[in-house]
Parts: sequence; structure tokens; C-alpha cells
Amino acid sequence: MSQNRRDFLKLTSAGVTALGLNMPAFLSRAAALAPASDKPGGKDTILVVVEFTGGNDGLNMVVPYNDDNYKKARPTLAISASQVKKINDQIGLHPGMDGLAELLQDNALCVLQGVGYPTPTESHFRAMDIWQTAAPDDTLTEGWIGNALKHMPATPSFHLKTSNEKSPLAMEGAPVRVPSISTLEEFQLQTAAANGADKKNQREVIEGAVKPKAGAGLLQFVEKTAADTYASSRRLQEIGKNYQPKATYPNTPLATRLKLAAQLIDADLGARIFYVSIDGFDTHAAQATAHANLMTQVSGAMTAFFKDLAARGHRDRILMMTFSEFGRRVKENGSKGTDHGTAAPMLLVGGKVKAGPVGKHPDLADLNMGNLKYGTDFRRVYATILDQWLGVSSKDVLGGKYEPVEILKG
Amino acid sequence: MTDIADTKIDPNWAWQAYHPSEKAPWDMRRVGHLYRRAAFGAAVGELEKALKDGPEKTIESLLQGGPKQEEYDQVSQQMERSIADSNNGVQLRAWWLHRMLYSPHPLQEKMTLFWHNHFATSNAKVQNARFMLGQYDLMCQYALGDFSALLSKMSRNPAMLIWLDGRDSKKGNANENYGRELMELFSLGIGHYSENDVREAARAFTGWEIKDNAALFNTSRHDDGEKTVLGQTGKWKGDDIVRICLEQKSAPGFIAAKLYRFLVSEDGAPELIEPLAEQFRKSGYDFGALVKTVLSSNLFFSDQAYRKRIKSPVDFALGIIRGLEGHIGTSALVPVLEQLGQNVFYPPSVKGWDGGPTWLNGQTLLFRQNLALALTSTEDPRFSARTDPAALALKVHKKTDDEVLDFLLTLFLQNDVPDESRARLREYQQHAHKQTAPVYWTEEEAADHRVRALCHLVLTLPEYQLS
Repeated sequence: MSQNRRDFLKLTSAGVTALGLNMPAFLSRAAALAPASDKPGGKDTILVVVEFTGGNDGLNMVVPYNDDNYKKARPTLAISASQVKKINDQIGLHPGMDGLAELLQDNALCVLQGVGYPTPTESHFRAMDIWQTAAPDDTLTEGWIGNALKHMPATPSFHLKTSNEKSPLAMEGAPVRVPSISTLEEFQLQTAAANGADKKNQREVIEGAVKPKAGAGLLQFVEKTAADTYASSRRLQEIGKNYQPKATYPNTPLATRLKLAAQLIDADLGARIFYVSIDGFDTHAAQATAHANLMTQVSGAMTAFFKDLAARGHRDRILMMTFSEFGRRVKENGSKGTDHGTAAPMLLVGGKVKAGPVGKHPDLADLNMGNLKYGTDFRRVYATILDQWLGVSSKDVLGGKYEPVEILKG
Repeated sequence: MTDIADTKIDPNWAWQAYHPSEKAPWDMRRVGHLYRRAAFGAAVGELEKALKDGPEKTIESLLQGGPKQEEYDQVSQQMERSIADSNNGVQLRAWWLHRMLYSPHPLQEKMTLFWHNHFATSNAKVQNARFMLGQYDLMCQYALGDFSALLSKMSRNPAMLIWLDGRDSKKGNANENYGRELMELFSLGIGHYSENDVREAARAFTGWEIKDNAALFNTSRHDDGEKTVLGQTGKWKGDDIVRICLEQKSAPGFIAAKLYRFLVSEDGAPELIEPLAEQFRKSGYDFGALVKTVLSSNLFFSDQAYRKRIKSPVDFALGIIRGLEGHIGTSALVPVLEQLGQNVFYPPSVKGWDGGPTWLNGQTLLFRQNLALALTSTEDPRFSARTDPAALALKVHKKTDDEVLDFLLTLFLQNDVPDESRARLREYQQHAHKQTAPVYWTEEEAADHRVRALCHLVLTLPEYQLS
């Protein structure tokens, strides 16, 4: 008898807990309940993943400007000491990245050098799958973020897409499908109204039906959830109309999507993971101009986003992480471009990053088939972010233990 | 419903057959409740017929399924073969959603969904539509049948052999995944076995492989030594372990509690489970009889069960479509249900869906309300006019504002809504008449638009989120 009793309690305890705790937590983020973001596992930290699609030339993003091997390998593409935004006396950022250089001064940029994994592939598709699933040796259908979301119940998250972009594999496997949106309207309560007045009437009926009363019943739970949902939907509508960025966003698609993320963050939906990508990095020919454009766009958009949110008081809640499926060959090719490569740097932006370079720049005199050797396994970066930033056990998500990397302030 | 007091419920009374009384009449509310739990909602004709037929006859017909099952299954099986051959994961999901919506035996589909949540195998890992369909067929066959046979056959089901790594398990190198979940999730519950039981059981399940799309027992890979599992020692094979598990005291209660949560309430008292567990054990794990007991019971038709569950995404979406008598292409529903968090054939983990309050958050509730709009507006390209409240109202001759409102509230909520909500909807109708519609609308179009908008508003009432 007591066995049955225990069984039953176990079976229902998840539901009961959810009833008690879910309610206040997910929409109107109750500050009192959320641990501060400087504690590990802080409940309101935000991760923004920026994907560089096509294979970013890491060597021309974080430039070893004093290295003769670099100058030799890049007769037309090398960036000189006088052009780079210096990080230290060895390396500097691409000249187009003046915004990020400023964030470095502001202790908000971490440059993690030489990231990769053993036996890398140079296929775009396979390499991208590997980075998104964190599984170089397996073919998986669920991604590392999707898996993390399994351990973050009722946490909204967003993929901010360009018009025809597919949802990233990284977010597959989440208990609730991560929505891919490109405008705020998609996240609003919709009505089919004959005109503006009709719309107002309809919304009044919908919202008027919800009058949360005290109590722990299911109907009260639904009403509370609905009240929060409608409130944030309205807030988003207002924000969409009236959002005054506290930094100037460049007029680029990446910046527009990051601004959308900023609006969603400022609307206080409780969303914690955002994913955005920028394509065009597969620079096999005439790389110089194309890559410079990309570097400028990336730097401008990320800087504006960070400054906007920092000015709104979210500085210490934000962590942005860039990655690409691979870097590019050290030696440039005959078309003033570069072919597929391997290890590359990752950029991390946020109020809590360990500012400056982390890890060693790969040795250009010690190559593997013309490619850089990695110093830091990318899964260590994911594990660090999961454990120290999102508060999710990296072992559960990645299925293994990885040594942390010092990318966050202790 | 106020037929029983808040005080402790008598377990004997709880599971005795419900007979309509003055305090607990056979009314629309009870009919709607039955069709929400034992099916995926109902059309108005079904509700009215059930009201006339009474509980006994209605439950019996739900247990037996309606006419033309064979014809439906024949077509369905043809589709099944083609999906298996093409290994198409989207069609796989659309196919089952079609069965849930249009099979003449919805209770069978509902209980198959129960077992899918219990055995929670995901095609994300299996990656084989043929095997997923094979597992579906097995669960469907035993959806209202013998649980011990189901469990035994599940232990050698190809999809399961992939899902929990049974095919990689061989003598000297047993994989414990299946042995563990058999005890923890499929039969006993945590705390009713030891780690050693898991290890020994795993040895008994060694030897299964997949050859030519079927499970094959390879004697040379099987560990035929003695094993001690849950106190019993012998040269056990997989079926012996299933038998031993089902002989344990905790097994019948573990399944009965899960069924209770599925059919009756998110919350419940253990003393109410015990009589169910006892019946289940005595019957030799006759699951159909257990389902019948629950569906026919006083408790099921009491306020202990009424609206005591959150609708799952499948219940929410399909309930609207069935109510509107829509004939839709179900592939449009596949991404919708994924967005709402119930991607059939792809449960999130071995535990299945957590369900209950975790179905709803600020994202999913918004998407539910917007889905209700897509299904009622006729302007959404996915469903267009195939689910049209205005056409339905016309068909059942509901014309005046009062008639339409009463019809929609009865169809979807059996008129059980707060007076305030009804008054607000009524007020909306009056306002809507005064609205200037776009000049290019005919009067008829404006009237249809009002019906559709009203239907959407009815579906956004908080009560509609409850099952």
C-alpha cells in the first residue's frame, strides 16, 4: 500500500511542483525569485549565439600581424600592423572591427584563440552539424542548445531568422520547438478583425475573460499564464512601436535582427537564448572586400546590441558567442581568396567575460596539411557556458565532462 | 458539478459504475468530458447522440469503435507501407494525426498515444519510419488489451531495440539501458529494484539483433548463465524478466496511477489508485477492462475529474478540428504540434512528455490562441476554409446571434462558462453588428466574419485550455 502511495506521489510531484513554481517564474520575471546573474546558474542570464555561416577566416579576424609566416602565406590578403585594431603586440582585430575594439577597452570582449576539435572535417555541412550538435563522432538530430533547453523548463528562446532561413540544428530537440521569427508581429496575439475598433473589442473579450484569482487550481494556473502572456504581447506591441534604442544600430540585416532580440529582452519575456546567423563567409575568391564587409557588419551589430542593452541595465546579463563551422587555410589561394580550413577564434562579448585574449594563437609554423592546429576544444567552451552561465549541467547536455575554459570572470 | 463533497472520497463509490441521478445528471457537460478524455473531442452530432444514448451505450461504443473500421484501416495500411518505404518522418506524423482525427475508433488512438508516452520512443534516434510504424502497430493492437503481452513484445520491438540499445547488447558486454528503463519507467517505478537487478536483467535481454527489418534472437550472443533478478534465480531470458517484473507488488499500481493521471486528473489520492491496481492485477493485466472501469466510474464523471487536466497540444488542436467537422490535410498540423510542444513519434526523452502545467507557457499559450485563429478564420493558407465555423453554423441552421453563441459555447464548452464571459461575448456580437465592414464585403461575408471571430473568441476562453 505504501508502495503505491509513493509511486503515485512521485508520478504527480512534477505536476504539483510545476503548479506551484511555474506560475510566477516564466513570464513576468520575478526579480526576487531569480538568483543574481553573477552567481553560477543565475536564472536570468542570456546567451546570444552568432553563427558565421560559410567558414570565417579567423586569421584575418584576429590577425597575427607581427608573424612573418602570416605575411608570407597571405601575399595579397595580409593585414598590416598599421591597419589592425591592436589587442596586444602580437595580435589585432580586423580594421573594420572598431566597435569591438572599443568593447575590448570596456572589458567586454574576450578573444578565445585557436578553437577546434580533433580530426576536423572541411565539409561545410558536416562541420556545421558537428558544431551545432557538439558531436564530432556521431550523427545526431538534436542540437546542444535544444538539449540544454530540456533542462531549462518553460524558458522561452528564439531563433531570429532572415526570410527563408531554416531553424538551426543547434536548437532541435527542445521540449517546445524554438520559434524562428523575423518580426515582432509573429509573437503577438492575433485577431481577424474587420477594422481597428473590432480588433480592440476582440482583444478586450480575450483579455477580459482572464481574471486571475488566488488559488492553486488548474483554471487559476491557466488564467495566470494567460494574463502574463497577454501582458507581454501588449508590451511587445508597444515596444515595437516605441522602442528607442540607446545605441545606434547600423542599417544591416544582422543589426536589425539583434535589435529585435534587444526588444524581446527588454520586453521581459523571460527568454534566455537567442540564435542569429550571418552568411557569406565562404570567401574562396576576392576575399578582401567581402570579408571586410562582414567584419564591419558583425562588429557594428554586436557592438550596438551590447551598448543598447548595457544602457538598459542588462550589461551583466548578456553573453554573446560567435562561431563558424571552420576557419580557413593559412595560405591564400590563386584567386585572392582562401580555401576551407580548421581552427579559428571565437569572440565572446558581455559584461562578465574575461576581457582580452584567452588561449594561445595557433602556431603558423606548425601546420597540419596547411591548416592550423587547435588549442581549445569547442566543447569546452560550450561546457563552460552551460555550467557557469546558463546553470545547466554540461555533463547532462554534452554527455561528457569537459574542462572549463577561462572565458568568464570568476 | 457538485455531486460529491470535498471530504474524503470513498474508494468503493469512486470506481462503481456511474448512473445518472438528479445530482449527477447525464448532461452535455458529462458528454463533452467523456469525448475529451476518451476521444479527441466530438462533433455536435456525436454529442447529441451520446446525450440520447446514455452513458452505458456511449462508453460501450467508444470501447468498440464505430463502423467502417476495416475500410479505414485498409487505406491507412496502404499509406503505412508507402511511408515505411520512403522513410518520411513528416508523413509519419501526419499519418498518425490523420488516424487520431478520422479513425472510427478514436479511443484506440488515444490509448495508443498513452502507450507512446509510456514507451516514449523517438524517431530522432531510431531514424526509421518502418520501425516506428511497427511499434505504433504493436501499441495500437494492445491499446486496450493485455499489458503483459504488450510489455513482452515491446522488449523485442525493433524500434525499442534501437531506442534503448538492446541490439548492441551481447553476452559479456550487456547494455543496461533497456533493463533499467523496463523497471524504472515501464513497469515498477524507481525504488522498487536494485542496481544489481538492472545488471542481471540486462544479461537476460542479451542476444537480440535486427536482421531484414525484424528482431532476431541470436543464441550465440545471448548470455545463458544464471541470473538473480528481484529475488528469483534462473537461466532467465527477456520474457522471464518481464514476467518477474509483473509479479512485483508495485507493478499494477505503477501503471494504474499513470492511467489515472491520463484519464482522470493531474492530481489524486493514492487510496483511489489501490482498487484499480488490485483489479488490474487480478485480471492478469487486462488494460481494456481497466480503461472501461475508469471511464464508467462515478469518479470519472465527478468534479474530481471534470476539467482537472490541462489539454495536451493534440487535444487542443484536434478538438477544434473535430468540433468544426473539418477535413484537413494533417501534414499542416505537424509543424504546429511541434511548435506547441507535442511532436508525436518524437517525444523529448525516455520519460515522454511531462504534460500537465508544463504544456503551457507564454509562448505556447500564445501559439494556441493564434492556432485557434488560424483554424477559424478561413484566411490561413494552411487550413483555409476547410475548418469554417460559419459554414458549420449554416449547416446546423444557427442564424441569430443568440443561436450562434449558444451553439458554439455548447459545442466547445458545453455551455459551462462564467456568466461574465457569456455577457462579454454577447456584447461583442452587438458591437460587431455596428462595425463598418470593408466596403467590398457583402452582407453575407460580414455575417460569416462575425461567426468566425466569435468562434475564435470562444476558443480563447481559459476554460477551453482544460480537459
